[in-house]
Amino acid sequence: MTSIVFQDLHKQYGKFQAVDGLSANIEAGRITGFLGPNGAGKSTALRCLLGLATPTSGSALLDGKKYTQLSHPSREVGAVLDTSGFNRSLTGRQNLKIMCAAGGINTDRIAPLLEMVELTPAANKRTKGYSLGMRQRLSLAAALLGDPQILVLDEPANGLDPIGIAWLRQMLRDLANQGKTILVSSHQLAEMQHTVDDVLIINQGKLIADGPIAQVTQGRSLEDTFLSLVGAGK
Amino acid sequence: MNLIKAEFLKLFYPRRTYGILLAAIAISVLGAAFTPYALSKIGSGMAMPLTNAAAIDSVYSKALAGYIFAVIIGVLTVTSEFNNHTAIATYLAAPKRWQPMLAKIIVAAIGGALLNLVATLVGMGSAAYALTFYPEAVAPASNVWLDFSLVALLTGAVLSLIGVGIGALIRNQNAAVSISFVWLFLIDRILAVLFVDVGKYLPTGLVTSLMNLKFNYTGPVVSVNTGDYLEPWPATGLLVAYGAVFVLAALLTTNRRDID
Ligand SMILES: Nc1ncnc2c1ncn2[C@@H]1O[C@H](COP(=O)(O)OP(=O)(O)OP(=O)(O)O)[C@@H](O)[C@H]1O
Ligand SMILES: [Mg+2]
Repeated sequence: MTSIVFQDLHKQYGKFQAVDGLSANIEAGRITGFLGPNGAGKSTALRCLLGLATPTSGSALLDGKKYTQLSHPSREVGAVLDTSGFNRSLTGRQNLKIMCAAGGINTDRIAPLLEMVELTPAANKRTKGYSLGMRQRLSLAAALLGDPQILVLDEPANGLDPIGIAWLRQMLRDLANQGKTILVSSHQLAEMQHTVDDVLIINQGKLIADGPIAQVTQGRSLEDTFLSLVGAGK
Repeated sequence: MNLIKAEFLKLFYPRRTYGILLAAIAISVLGAAFTPYALSKIGSGMAMPLTNAAAIDSVYSKALAGYIFAVIIGVLTVTSEFNNHTAIATYLAAPKRWQPMLAKIIVAAIGGALLNLVATLVGMGSAAYALTFYPEAVAPASNVWLDFSLVALLTGAVLSLIGVGIGALIRNQNAAVSISFVWLFLIDRILAVLFVDVGKYLPTGLVTSLMNLKFNYTGPVVSVNTGDYLEPWPATGLLVAYGAVFVLAALLTTNRRDID
């Protein structure tokens, strides 16, 4: 079942095309890797999808709706974004409580999620003192608060240690098996090769490859495929 | 309702909020407690002895000085979201951007009103205490406790809303807080005293009007004749109009811009 649709999405900053006609379908029950070099337009496309940036033209829809048309966004879509943050003078738990209040989510969800991301011992410390990986874990807990059907994750493995990456992979697989839609961007190609079912590869704002991972890689490693597609390393 | 609750948590969780409250109380108490001393000195043989009931009103009126910190409450309501990059989480939970902004407006108005009320009551308490040291002091001319509490609620709410507008327009926390301070502590006060024709239409002048003080003090450096200011009701109307303009600015600016 198609869950996220990009339709000829364009996002222009001045004369610069950050996203240049992206069209793609993302299926439920599968993990889709969103790949591309630095500055390719991944975060920009995801921000358009989540209503944080306004597309110049085209659209990005979740179950046929714009993000701004969702009736309970926090319970329908969970997101981790590279530039999002927490109130640094508040504790991890207080930050999550604010998100629960805003999203109309029961605070009972907080304790088990903190346990799952292994932040229970740090939950009552101010996030000012969190490491990069701890902030990332808190972001993942925040994305899952509303038990959403769709997850949009921009570089969720950023800053995670190998143990964290392993549980992230397992968690994404479990969630996909429950029929949820997972769109995840990353630079860690070796890791992505073992995690994702489908890939979307963009370069300079344009889609350059799209499909099940086996079909895109044709027996090569994801890294080799990626480098030859984006024309680097020659 | 959810969003209003979230905004209340954002206001009441940080320790900073209580620091701002303490600062507001401090400035109210300082002004109110030292004015009797100042008046008893400069007032001797001049226009403002403590035997003049209007002078006693002006002592109590110093307790209202905390409104400057109500502006800071309003500013921070908006700028802390950009400062901490929590705007993303806020707009992911409520993508129709006027909704969280409306929640901020409601919470900032209540927060600013409460802050100013608490600071004013503590300040008036210290004014009453300070006046016990001056046997010549008479009773206030008006019902200062009730009147100034109402003025505190109104000015706290409106000034906080002006802060919300400033925060939404400027977004940079340090810049917005500095500009608010410099404006209200310096420029606005100077205009209110030295250039009354302009100053009477600005916040400090309007707050002065609302206190409805009646005195005419001629000093070597500055002279203040409360008759130069607007009457309380037109001043109330103008102050509320300022609040409305800044609220409108806050609602309009949040709608279009991309969130980083
Ligand atoms: N607000 C903005 N104003 C101007 N240019 C922008 C803005 N946001 C992004 N860009 C530009 O758009 C391009 C795409 O940026 P984007 O962040 O989407 O890339 P990305 O694929 O996420 O890269 P990375 O892998 O480094 O995270 C970049 O060239 C960037 O400089
Ligand atoms: Mg990015």
